[in-house]
Amino acid sequence: MKILVADDSRVMRQIVIRTLRQAGYDDHDIVEAEDGRDAYEKVRTEAPDLVLSDWNMPNMTGLECLQALRSSGSAVPFGFVTSEGSADMRETAADAGALFLIAKPFTEETFRENLDGVLA
Amino acid sequence: MTLAPDATARAARPLITSLIDEATVGAIAGEAWVALVGEEELLVPVPGALPEDALSTWVDVVGPWTGSVVLTAGHGTAVELTRALLAEATPAVLEPEDVTDAFGEIANVVGGNVKAALPGPSTLSLPQVGDAPAVRNPDDVCRVEVLWRGQPLVITVQGALPSTSPQHENPHHENPQHENPHHENPHPNGVSL
Repeated sequence: MKILVADDSRVMRQIVIRTLRQAGYDDHDIVEAEDGRDAYEKVRTEAPDLVLSDWNMPNMTGLECLQALRSSGSAVPFGFVTSEGSADMRETAADAGALFLIAKPFTEETFRENLDGVLA
Repeated sequence: MTLAPDATARAARPLITSLIDEATVGAIAGEAWVALVGEEELLVPVPGALPEDALSTWVDVVGPWTGSVVLTAGHGTAVELTRALLAEATPAVLEPEDVTDAFGEIANVVGGNVKAALPGPSTLSLPQVGDAPAVRNPDDVCRVEVLWRGQPLVITVQGALPSTSPQHENPHHENPQHENPHHENPHPNGVSL
């Protein structure tokens, strides 16, 4: 399976990828995107099985990316990994079609709790 | 006596000290360090003198309370933090952009969690790195000083707006910074909102 990791911070993308491996998802292909627009394009070209996206990014936010994907007919499983995890944001994410929102800082257990149902 | 509309708005503005305390800010930062840097990477609540090459990173919160969440540390500490965050992905030669990225991301995580503890709705900016934003109102500051790997780190949650009290109208730097031509994103005006 293929996972698209979208974050404008290269360091955070590395941390997310490392946590994926620590959580046991080390046999998946990883594709990186550096903002929402890049993620949107790579969903179309790479056809990932899951998108893990930051929320607050330049050019196109993670939420805008998700909304653009859904309006274009894409049903790719999509989850947020973001530094903000308020109840309002979780509701907004769910309303837009996100499966989950993982708040930073996260642990490998948090990843397993949210991803097992998607990638198992 | 009737206050002018602007004065009324300023008087009603909450100070950060009424919204969050040092223990909460310290706990948020400590949790970020343990989760992102490493399980044994503790922040020790002991103050230390910042070196002259201190560098700041911050995110802005705009909402019922408006200000910045600022992390300040020596340049060497920021570099060490970058290596710790990148771990096995650390390149042989660390570029300044890597340090800006890593230091900023820590501010993003700490700031995001501080924002969640404050009244909303509010927005969070992308992280910036450079000279610390000026403190506009010394009463609107929550300051936490810690040591990481023996090196000082200061976390401030500081209001962006001046005091309603006349004696605090002159902005000044909470942590006096020295001019550093290597700062990628200088912040000369101290306000990024």
